[in-house]
Amino acid sequence: MLAELINPYYLQVASFVLINIILGISIYITLSTGQLSLASAGFMGIGAYTSALLTLNFDLPIIVGVLAGTLMAGLFGVIIGIPTLRLKGVYLAIVTLGFGEVIRVIFVNWESLTKGAVGLSGIPHMGREILKTLKGFGFDPQVLGLQNNQFIFMTIFLLLLFITIGIIQFFRRQNSSRVGRAFAAIKLDEQAAESMGINITYYKVLAFAQGALVAGFAGTLFAHVLAYISPADFAYHRAVEILIFAVFGGSEVIWGPVFGALFLTVMPEVLRFISEYRYMIYGLVIIIMMAVRPQGLIDVNIINWIKTKVGKRGQKHGTSNTKNL
Amino acid sequence: MRKQFKKIIQLTTLSSLLVLTACGGNEPAGDQDAQTEGGAVKADIGVVSYISGPGAAYGEAITNGLKLAQEEINSNGEVEINLVVEDSAGKQDQALTAAQKLMNSENVTAIIGPTLSTEMNVVGPEADINGVPIMGTSTTAEGIPQIGEYVFRNSLPEALAIPAAIDKAMEKYDAKKVAILYGNDDVFTKSGFDTMKAAAEEKGLEILTIETFQKGQSDYNAQLTKIKGLNPDLILASALYNEGAVIMGQARKMGIDVPFVGGNGFNSPEVINIAGDAANGLIVATPWYGEKDDQKVQDFVTKYEEEYGKKPDQFAAQAYDALYIMAEALKNAGEADRDAVRDALAEIQGFNGILGEFSFDEEGDVVMEPTVLVIEGGAFKVFE
Repeated sequence: MLAELINPYYLQVASFVLINIILGISIYITLSTGQLSLASAGFMGIGAYTSALLTLNFDLPIIVGVLAGTLMAGLFGVIIGIPTLRLKGVYLAIVTLGFGEVIRVIFVNWESLTKGAVGLSGIPHMGREILKTLKGFGFDPQVLGLQNNQFIFMTIFLLLLFITIGIIQFFRRQNSSRVGRAFAAIKLDEQAAESMGINITYYKVLAFAQGALVAGFAGTLFAHVLAYISPADFAYHRAVEILIFAVFGGSEVIWGPVFGALFLTVMPEVLRFISEYRYMIYGLVIIIMMAVRPQGLIDVNIINWIKTKVGKRGQKHGTSNTKNL
Repeated sequence: MRKQFKKIIQLTTLSSLLVLTACGGNEPAGDQDAQTEGGAVKADIGVVSYISGPGAAYGEAITNGLKLAQEEINSNGEVEINLVVEDSAGKQDQALTAAQKLMNSENVTAIIGPTLSTEMNVVGPEADINGVPIMGTSTTAEGIPQIGEYVFRNSLPEALAIPAAIDKAMEKYDAKKVAILYGNDDVFTKSGFDTMKAAAEEKGLEILTIETFQKGQSDYNAQLTKIKGLNPDLILASALYNEGAVIMGQARKMGIDVPFVGGNGFNSPEVINIAGDAANGLIVATPWYGEKDDQKVQDFVTKYEEEYGKKPDQFAAQAYDALYIMAEALKNAGEADRDAVRDALAEIQGFNGILGEFSFDEEGDVVMEPTVLVIEGGAFKVFE
């Protein structure tokens, strides 16, 4: 029964959904201070390449690669964040888009390290490595009645699910903390926030670095789930795709980009039966959305409405529940 | 706090369940109809193809070629093939999910595709682990069949095509010095360049200069001026046809009249349409020559033109042959079993298709004689 339900295809799609959710969150964080950054694809690339190169060339365990890749992206976030802070709105968007392109061009031209446009193949695959390790301890997926590949995708999915839940929970908590309040204040009015004693430089760099860290993290996961990366994966198309998650789902609450990533990743799969027309529908849905709900599908009002319909229980007990989204 | 956390878990599991059910609906159906019935071997063959997005023309040619072959094979009666076509949109992650769907939900016997070498780099290892034979019809980069035992291709790799073209050109023009020009931000042209450079070095050609350009560039005067000053006997250009044609146009205007040797991506009738007379002197090696004096080839060209209203290109031809090779393997295997089909595929030797005589080597790579063509007087001709 269990074995039949676990179809690697569904799990594969679900894994991409989860990675895209993490990417959506990365852009949500920078947006929550009112900064529009299109560098997420670049940070994703830095994370992916760092982790892939470390695990390929030095035989390091994946977890070390993932951590190093994430930190490297975060470091770049701080370095890029400090000078670009002087810019606002569309100018920031242009600079960050440029940064992403610079990163891609570096990957293309640094051939001795990155193999240029051909890309890196044979990157250790997360699920296969886990299975190999477990087999070393004498574990066999047959015990659970699962095939090898079912087990591989199952572990990837569960791992990503826990990671994603952890990240969502972290940023929900952060939103109702001092940091989150400061972000919201900066988003509403920078001058007012500064006059209230908020160190806007610090908080803006923090948001930028957090976004970079999360995007880099998603990049490392992407590399170890796909086992092959090339510079074209991190071109501006990717940046726009990530932005659309937040624009479509809404960027006011964290559930917006989460929903956007979920919906926009699953839709092309569900529409597979109309093959070449499916991306037309994708475009159409986005146009309709922009015309009807420019603020994105999910905003505070929707969340509150869902709460009154579903979550009476939380309101009776908690006090903070309505505000912390 | 705990409650809140519980709620989040509930929500996430709910949403992930939603994902799972949303993707559902297709019952695995492969096993029952993948059986032998009264002689004809019935099999589902999955196709992963690039049919939406900027490179959709490739996918269209490939699926057209496959469909034409399918009709003929099925009317022959020995093998009955059912094609299940999935779109990859030219993206690795889409290609991977499409292949997963074919392997796990549709239970196909074998897969043809995906279109791009980058996609094959992702899909190949997965198919190999699952034990599903997979055959690329347009993946020409290095190292594709070496991914695993179950990975094959029938597309002429650059490693065969480019040296063949260089050899012929060297013979005819007594070339000693070459200049190389390539697009460095594209997988296809970059790996073509690697092959070119290796081939030139191996044949003892003196490489005067190596120049690069980027996708979509429109002015190549800087690179060409430098090349002109060095006075090479040949120019090796690893470019896709749209940039390549512009390069040839500008080179001829500048007075560079030495022949060009191109890779697989340069090999398209479009070069003549774009560059006109300037395209004369382009030498390419190709598995496919539509003017060939062979009944099979001419039949295919007429049928294809009738059906789709245009001349078949090499992608259509390679796909057409690929399905015939697959059918041959199915017939020899006698059943739609993945392992049996793999073994039968590996044993294919001396298969006679529209591309000529074709065999797999022990790695699943192509063994065949490419035809070297040259553009003369505004048309592709066999290069003697």
